[in-house]
Amino acid sequence: MSYFLQKEPPRREQRLNACIASGGNLSDMTNRKMRCCVPDGERTFTQNNICLLLPALGMMNSIPNSVVLMHGAVGCGSSSHGGNVGVRAGNNHRWGVIKDGTWLSTALNESDVICGGEEKLEAAIREIDEHYKPMIVFVVTGCVPGIIGDDVDGVVQRIQPEIAANILPVHCEGFKTKIWATAYDAVYHAIGRVMLQDTSENLALKKPEKATVNLMNVSSMGRVDELELERLLHTLGLEVNIFPVFSKPEKMYAMTHADLSISTCPTHDDYLLKHLQEKYGIPFVLKHMPIGIGNTSEWLRNVAAFFQLENQVEKIIEEEEAELETALQEFKAFFKGKKVFVSAGEFRALATAILLAELGFEVVAVRSFHHDEFADSEYEKLSKITAKDFPLNIANCQPFEEANLIRRVKPDLFLGHMNGNSTAAKLGIATNVIYNVGLQFVGYQGAYQLARRLYRQLTNPGFNQNISKWVQLPYSEDWYQQDPFAHIKQSEGEV
Amino acid sequence: MKHFIERPRFTCALGGAIATVTALPRAIHILHAPPGCAGNTAWTQMGGCGLQVGGYCGGISIPGTNVQEREVVFGGSDRLQEQIQNTLKVMDADLYVVLTSCVTEIIGDDVDSVIAPFQNDETQIISAETGGFKGNSYLGYEIVLESILKNYVTRGEATVKGRVNLWGIAPSFDVFWRGNLEGLRQLLSRLGLEVNTFFTMDDHLDGIRHASSAQLNIVVSDVFGWQAAKISQEVHGIPYVVSPLPIGPSASDLFLRRVGEALGLSEELIEAVITTENQRYYKLLEPLTDCYNDMDLQRYAAVVGDSNYATAITAFLENDFGWLPQVIVITDTLMEEQQERIVNRLSSLKSGRIPKIIFKGDLTDIAKSIKEHWEGSQTRYGKYVNALSPAFVVGSSLDRPLAQELGAAHLSISFPVSNRAVIDRGYTGYQGGLRLIEDLISAIIVNR
Ligand code: SF4
Repeated sequence: MSYFLQKEPPRREQRLNACIASGGNLSDMTNRKMRCCVPDGERTFTQNNICLLLPALGMMNSIPNSVVLMHGAVGCGSSSHGGNVGVRAGNNHRWGVIKDGTWLSTALNESDVICGGEEKLEAAIREIDEHYKPMIVFVVTGCVPGIIGDDVDGVVQRIQPEIAANILPVHCEGFKTKIWATAYDAVYHAIGRVMLQDTSENLALKKPEKATVNLMNVSSMGRVDELELERLLHTLGLEVNIFPVFSKPEKMYAMTHADLSISTCPTHDDYLLKHLQEKYGIPFVLKHMPIGIGNTSEWLRNVAAFFQLENQVEKIIEEEEAELETALQEFKAFFKGKKVFVSAGEFRALATAILLAELGFEVVAVRSFHHDEFADSEYEKLSKITAKDFPLNIANCQPFEEANLIRRVKPDLFLGHMNGNSTAAKLGIATNVIYNVGLQFVGYQGAYQLARRLYRQLTNPGFNQNISKWVQLPYSEDWYQQDPFAHIKQSEGEV
Repeated sequence: MKHFIERPRFTCALGGAIATVTALPRAIHILHAPPGCAGNTAWTQMGGCGLQVGGYCGGISIPGTNVQEREVVFGGSDRLQEQIQNTLKVMDADLYVVLTSCVTEIIGDDVDSVIAPFQNDETQIISAETGGFKGNSYLGYEIVLESILKNYVTRGEATVKGRVNLWGIAPSFDVFWRGNLEGLRQLLSRLGLEVNTFFTMDDHLDGIRHASSAQLNIVVSDVFGWQAAKISQEVHGIPYVVSPLPIGPSASDLFLRRVGEALGLSEELIEAVITTENQRYYKLLEPLTDCYNDMDLQRYAAVVGDSNYATAITAFLENDFGWLPQVIVITDTLMEEQQERIVNRLSSLKSGRIPKIIFKGDLTDIAKSIKEHWEGSQTRYGKYVNALSPAFVVGSSLDRPLAQELGAAHLSISFPVSNRAVIDRGYTGYQGGLRLIEDLISAIIVNR
């Protein structure tokens, strides 16, 4: 049965056997694949991090003409204050208007916890429909309704006929999964179930005349990155529609008209792309991330192969790579042999590590937020290009392990996710963010822009060096003497 | 009444508690919570707290149990026990504070019995019930203070003359908390007082531990910190005095007199300090006189903020700066008696004028009320229009579209402050008034 017929998507722990706790070396991962990681395995000491709610909100807040209703305690989703920065910039880059996202909270209190929050939710949806008149109301559940047993889907189903807006229930109970990539499934699930129905308006949408592709972006790319990929796809003569971030609700159905769906990150998109294929017969490519020189070329080749444009693409790639190579010359001698440590979402971390190796850095450690089968090919690519073994850590952040590892491998440079660079920074390492929608990372241009930023950062890492002399990380001296993976529970079965 | 709040200007009790413990010297939290609550607070700080995220141990460095369905079904006490045991090995702190969340409170884990065996002379560990559904981030601040006063601060200490504790400013959710606390410490030290502010660079756990030796507790808020003061009175027998957040000379004069009176300090000393500080303040202001007048820098103002800032900024603008505050919107959720206190406070401005006072936390409601007032106050005779212009909106970064619609200048002070970088800037005391003038005027002349 299609997952999309169910109320909520499955946890990724189940669907993909994804895991979050492993420590070892790159070679372990390449040789043993998934077996090195215990599904649902954990640590005896953990740090709190984020839940799927946060990235999910990042996607939903971007949708024009929508309202995001958080059903939970008043704090769940206050992360939108941070996410809003990206929404303002995103609106500005796309339409030239700075505009905030609209997020609301049912602010469940003690008496709601006892009596249930369904009535409040129903009243809130009715009020929103009347006062905001949006096309979409995302009804997002945090932990509280999940625990007290509010039947959010029941409420939505019952009142939808009386509500003009499309109501999209999105399940984001943080206690249900530790793999926050489930967020993408949660939002895709809701969009797939509600926005891709064969309504008369949807069926009236015109089909494109030219070859058209869906380019998926779950908010890991800013407009600058989208432009780079559009540029490359246009050289193949393809029309490009970008989903789901910043996509207009009335146009979402157009994703069922494309000739091909293209993922920019397999970790993000498999859930929806498989659905689009099963239900609407739209093939997809879900391989490679267009970050890095080789990977961008591979990504483009894959798309071109589908449209039988093999010859054309080789010429484009050759020209692009040659031009980029010349431009990178002025940095390469400077980068050569400098040690770099990378930490981010699995695919992003690996693709970026490969790019850094292409730029001449020596990769000395990699951390991925989780592990699933999609990344196996990237581990192989990475070990091929680095031709050396080094520590590999699967961790949903857990900066205590990172601090320990950094002290051991002593990198010159660290690239971490947003909110994930301060550990390295406080240890005096030059850092650069691996993901920030204002900056450029993707495609050939992204590789060049990253190189420029790294050159700048390495030229004067004074901010971090100075701070490291005067501030301490919150870990005991004893911890640094321990094995960095000492708190990872070992698998009980065969390894 | 509406059944939702649009873009609430605070986070939950747990978020407030997280920020409060982060601000304590050498303290580390242990969250008994699902995996997202620390990150949620970090992103909130990143977007709303003047670019200040975390501290010694904040954001995603905070240890936590990361409870999942297993714990929801079978209880999370074992996981908490394991987590505490290992936290004591991995982390480096002198005080550990276990904070509970929505999930672990609803499932009913008995945290106190888990932490009891860990408590000994070497390990200081306390807990606080900070489930998010209990209330907003200000309440989280209050609950942490309450736990510290009940469980950490020693009892039966002898009173030390001239030692005071100061509360009412919630770390992070008063974005200028560091500077505000520091400003008040410096001000009170002019009276020869030793001030324990708990959260600044100059505070330490030892001082907090012996907070029970204070002669007086000072609360600089009509709403926040009251619970702490009441508990301290009950448990430690320390009297307290309440003042609005003192911003600028008029409020600081009153503040010093009130504290002096409560401590029985000599009137002469207090008046001498007040005179010196006023002289200094106005001498520093003197060179602005030309431009203030020539550039016609007086403004009608709408003030939007939490109960601390809304009243304090209004009083400053009206009493000290010669501006005309028109509408005041108080954005945190208040009880009736708290609302009355605020109304009384705002009804005793020097001029005797009473601005329109609104209690609303929802963005659309706030903007609508202010616009209505602005439109309603306008008179028109043919081509002659008397509108509330030139205008200024002192609020949060969420009020920028409103300011734009009113054609007003704008400054973010109350949470969220996404468009300013704040380190230790503060608005309290005489000095703070000068800082506020700098920021207000700078916002007006940004294109000069
Ligand atoms: S883990 Fe649960 S309670 Fe915490 S922020 Fe996420 S949804 Fe809210």
